Formats: sequence, C-alpha cells, structure tokens
Amino acid sequence: MTIPAAAPVVVRGLSKSFKSVVALQDVSLTVGDRQFVTIVGPSGCGKSTLLRLISGLIPATSGEVDVRGRRVTAPITDVGMVFQSPVLMPWRTTLDNILFVAEMRGESGSQYKARALELIGLAGLAGFEQRRPHELSGGMQQRVAICRALLLNPPLILMDEPFGALDVITRERMGFELEKIWNVTKTTVIFVTHSISESVLLSDRIIVMSARPGRIVQTFDVDLPRPRGRELLSHPAFVRLSAEVRACIEDASTASVQ
Amino acid sequence: MKLMDNPAVANVVKSTIAFAILIALWQVVGQLTHAPEHIVPLPSKIGEVFVRTFTSQLHHLGATGFATVCGLALALVVGVLLAIAVIYFASIKGAVLTVLAAFNSIPKIAVAPLFVIWFGLGIESKILLAFLLAIFPVFVNSVTGLGEIEKDMIDLSKISGGNEWRIFTKVRLMHALPYIADSLKVAFPLALVGAIVGEFIGGNRGIGYLILSAQFNMDTALVFAALLSITIFTTLGVGVVVLFEYLFLSWRPSQRAT
Repeated sequence: MTIPAAAPVVVRGLSKSFKSVVALQDVSLTVGDRQFVTIVGPSGCGKSTLLRLISGLIPATSGEVDVRGRRVTAPITDVGMVFQSPVLMPWRTTLDNILFVAEMRGESGSQYKARALELIGLAGLAGFEQRRPHELSGGMQQRVAICRALLLNPPLILMDEPFGALDVITRERMGFELEKIWNVTKTTVIFVTHSISESVLLSDRIIVMSARPGRIVQTFDVDLPRPRGRELLSHPAFVRLSAEVRACIEDASTASVQ
Repeated sequence: MKLMDNPAVANVVKSTIAFAILIALWQVVGQLTHAPEHIVPLPSKIGEVFVRTFTSQLHHLGATGFATVCGLALALVVGVLLAIAVIYFASIKGAVLTVLAAFNSIPKIAVAPLFVIWFGLGIESKILLAFLLAIFPVFVNSVTGLGEIEKDMIDLSKISGGNEWRIFTKVRLMHALPYIADSLKVAFPLALVGAIVGEFIGGNRGIGYLILSAQFNMDTALVFAALLSITIFTTLGVGVVVLFEYLFLSWRPSQRAT
C-alpha cells in the first residue's frame, strides 16, 4: 500500500522513554484523511503519550511524526485537542470558552461567533451559551470542550479519553452524540480510549496497543454503516467485532504479564 | 421578611445587632461602675469626641490613607512583577523565595527606625513601611495564582497557537486574579499597620501621630475616636476589594458558596 504524501498523520518507528521506563516502543501508523481512528488498550500502554508525541507537546526518544507532510518538532498549532477533563476556563462562558482557541491564535473571537453557535446547537448546548462551566454538568462541559476543538475546523483532532471521567450512562450517550457530530463534521480524529464498545461505535479503524512497553498489537477495520445508532449495539457485526477486539486486548495483556 | 431570606443581608443584620448589643453593654456597665474616663471612656463620650474632632480626624486619616494606599499599590505592582519573574525564570525561583522568606522572618516593625534614618520623617518612610508589610502576601498568592495552573490548560493554549504573551494575559493572569484579590484583603490591613507604625516613630501627621499625641495628653477618648476612624477606613478598603470580587470574579468558587 502506498501512503499518500500529505496523509494527515504518519508515524514511523516512534519510541518514547521516561528515564528508564519505555512507554512506547517502535510504533508506526498512518491515519487517512477524514478517518476516525481509535487507539485502545489497557491503562499505561502509552496511548496518551502517543497523542502528546503526535501533537509535539513532548519530544520523541526516537522515530518521527509527520502531520500533513510536515515533520513535528514543536507543538503543532492546527490541531484540536480534547482532554480527559474538560479543561474549561472557569471565568469564561460556554461561548467564550469555545472562542478561546481563536483568541489564542491572535484572532478576534467575535468573527467565529456564528460558527460557535452552530456547534453549540449541534452539541445540544443551545440555551447554555452564557453559562459558566460550574453551572454545567460533566457531560455538558465535555461537549463544550468538543465544540472548542471543532471551532477552527482543524484538519486533525486528538481526543485523549474524553469521556473517561463521566459516569457510564452519560458516557454511552456522549459516544452516540460524538458519532452524530462527526457525521456532520467528518474531521480526521485520533481517539484514545479503553472502552471497547466506544471504539467500535466510533471508529473507521481500531488500533489495539499492549501494555508497557506500548506497542501496536493489531489493527481492525470497522465496516459498519454510518450513522450508527443505539440499535447498532445489538447488531451481530458489532458484537462480533467487539469480541475480537476484547480477545486481542486480553491476549496482549497476558503476553506482557508473562 | 423577604429581605432576611438573602443570606448576605441576614448576615449584615445579625452582625449589626451583635455589635449594637456589645456597645450598649459597654455603655451600661461603664455608667454603673463609674469607670474612670481616662481608662475606659464611655461609647457616648467616644462618639462625641469623634464628631467634635471630625475634620482633624479626616485630615490625619488622609495622610495615613495616602501612605497606606501608595504602599499597597507599590506592593501590588512589585509583588506581581516579582511573581512573574519567578514563574518565567524558574532557575531564580529557589533563590528569590529563600531571600524573601528570610526577609519576612525579620519583624518589620523593628526596622522602622532604620527607615526613618534612610528616608526621613516625611511620607516616604511611611509608604515604604506599608509596602514592606504588604508585599509578602501579594507575592506568595501571585506565585500560586500565576503558576499553579492545570498542565492541560497550558498545553491546550500552546496547541491552539498561543504565544507566551497571550497565554499570560488570557490564562495565567485571569487565573491569578482571585488569588491576588484575596491577598489584598490581607495586605490592606498590613499596609495600614506599616503606615501607622511609621507615624508612631516620627512626623506630625497621620492617625498614628494623632493616637500618640492623644496618649501624651491622656485623652483616651480621642485615642478611641482615632481607632474608630481607622476601623471605618479598613472596612471601606476591604469593602472595595469585596465589591471588585462581586462584580468581576463572580465565577470563583468562594463567591459561589455565599
């Protein structure tokens, strides 16, 4: 398979060690344009480290990362990011929190107001534009964070366990909502999670990683039709793929224990 | 009693009643025991002296207030600038903190005579004493407010294209504002102590001078009247900070609780 030169993300032989601990070992992957790729694996497999390396927030020990054909050597700035916690500024309203990323670029937030309001509607936050984060529920806060990541239409969005801090019921609903939003925006996404059903529900491709040192064990293509609704959870193909991914993760974790 | 449902109003009403009872008790016990006026004057006498000497009180309070506010403003500017230096030049942090902690362990009241030697009996020595007492809380709180920011918040700002200046003004400074406002509530009475001690040591203006000269004349009622002036002044000063918090920092957690 030939890799298109300007594929959103190309990772080659990436390794990262923190002192003597090898967090990530020889990871190579390619993310295609407008693909939703999920990285799934047990805690401590270096998933978050991989995202930080791709975004250039931390330097690699060896190997290289290209984002849209450009070598990453410093924090890249045309990327949207969603963290495990919402990371909202408590002094800003919903609207101003979303516009924050435009202001960080040195642009005036007001010119993106229409776009922000559109995203607020898409995320079901209408009526909460002028509320402060402490007036929103955890799920709503995380939706604000997702809107913020989408505001500038970045070619790439990195999501680091965005629903990890939510309760199970909210988490499942957020999965469906993100899928719905993604069907509208169709941005390239790298999504880190340890929830198997979340990964199958959202992705075009699932990358399974093993625990320390983090390595890619297997890749699954997800050929389920979109939009994917709640009924998908009982679809035989969904159930089968979930079981395969689960078995793969279990194999990987027992292998690393031995 | 709709108004009493508001906890803030109820609080003010309750404190006023408690205060009134205390004053009334003082008046009654004082009259019954015929306490000598030069030891404990009656509240009615203090009130009478306060009204009679009102213009002179204002004149002296003006001098003390000016020294206090100047010292506080100086402490605010220098304290915040020093905190910024410590945040951005992490290598000097240890040295600056140690030197400042050492300085802070000197009872600053004890160095007041030195200030009179260096800066004379004029307003300068009072301002500098006020400054010296006020700077420490401002500095310590500024370091916390500017520095102890969620790492993800800084990462998000970088990845959104924020340069150091924009991250400083839109993230660090905003995060620090409640901490700085809090420190002012402590620093304001401290600056006042500095100014008054300066006036005790020398000069012919200010509430400190008024108290001292009243003491020489055994005019205890005037001493109390001067204390009343300062109390009103301090309350107004802290009130200004609280008003600022109410108007601009309504998002902070401690404001939400009340």
